[in-house]
Amino acid sequence: MNPTSIVRAVLDADPDALVVSSLGTATSALRAASDDGPHLYMGGSMGTALAVALGVAEKRPDRPVLALLGDGEALMGAGSFWSLAGLAPANLLAVVLMDGHYTITGGQQLGVPGAFGPVAAALGLATATARSHEEITGHVRALPRPAVLEVRYEDRSWPGPSPFVDAPVVRWRFEEEASR
Amino acid sequence: MTWQATLADALIESGVEVAAWVPDKRLAPIAQRLTERGVPPRTLTREEECFGYAAGYRAAGGMPLVLAQCSGLGNALNAIGSLVIPFGLAFPVVLSMRGTLGERNPSQMPLGRSTVATLEALGVQPFALRDPADAARYAKGAVNVAEGARVLAPILLEAELDL
Repeated sequence: MNPTSIVRAVLDADPDALVVSSLGTATSALRAASDDGPHLYMGGSMGTALAVALGVAEKRPDRPVLALLGDGEALMGAGSFWSLAGLAPANLLAVVLMDGHYTITGGQQLGVPGAFGPVAAALGLATATARSHEEITGHVRALPRPAVLEVRYEDRSWPGPSPFVDAPVVRWRFEEEASR
Repeated sequence: MTWQATLADALIESGVEVAAWVPDKRLAPIAQRLTERGVPPRTLTREEECFGYAAGYRAAGGMPLVLAQCSGLGNALNAIGSLVIPFGLAFPVVLSMRGTLGERNPSQMPLGRSTVATLEALGVQPFALRDPADAARYAKGAVNVAEGARVLAPILLEAELDL
C-alpha cells in the first residue's frame, strides 16, 4: 500500500463523501486518487484539517464526510479528536495515514507514539486499524460514525501532484460539490 | 435588553447559523443569548480549531461565527493566515479585548496591545465596538462583510463597553 492506493480504497468505499485532506501527503494522494476531484485540500494550516471536517460535517449532516489526515498533521491538531468525540457527528470518519514520518518536511520521524486508535477508543469513538486495501474497504464501510481509522503502511513513495493548491479554485469547486 | 443580547440577535437575524468558541467570561452573555435563540456555541479545545471548524462550515455553504478572547487570536494565526484568508472562507468573529484599559493581569497585556496590529498585518480590517448602541449595526455589518465582500470580519469588544 502507498498513500495513493490507500486513498483510492477509501474513496471507493465511500464514494459520495465530502472529503477534507490535510496538507502534504494527504492532499497530494487525494489529488492523485481522485483525478483532482472537487475536495477541500488543505494547502497549509497544519493541524486544522479535522476541525475543518467537523465544520463540514455539521453543516451537511445529510452527507458522509471524510477527513484524510497525515499522522504528523493529526498530532498537531490532536485536540480535534476530543472535539470529534464531543460533537459526535454521525457522518464523519477520520482516516489517519500512519507512516510515522513528517513526509512534506523531508521525512523526519515522529517523536511520539502514533497511538491514534487507543486514544480514539479512550474517547469513546469507534476505531479500527487497517493494513491492507481489503481491510480499508471493510472498515470504511462498517465503522459506525464518528470513527477514527488508522491505516498503517510503509511504502512512503510520494503520490505525485503538488500539494501547493490554488486555494480560491479549491474553495469554489468544493462549494459547488457541497451544494449538491 | 442587554447589548450582548442585541448583538447575538442581530448576528442570528443576519444569517449566522452556528458558533464555535473557547469559553470566556466576557463572551458568556453573548453565548448565553445564542443558546437561548437555538444556536448553542460549539465548545472546542483551542481557538485555532474554532477558525478551522468555521472555515469548513463556511466552505460547506453555511455562515458560522467564532467567539474568542483576543489572546486566542494568537493561538489561531496559522489557521487564519494559511486557510481562512487564502481560501476566502470569510465569517464574522467577536473578539473580547483583554490587555487594554482596566486590565490587571500582566500576562494579558502583550497580546491585547498587539491585536489590532496583528490583524492589520494580515490584511484583516477590525471593527472596534465601543458604544453599546452600535451592537446591532456592527453585527449586521460584519455579516455583510463576510458574506458579500468575503473577508474575515472581526468585531472587537473594546474596554468602553460594560463587559
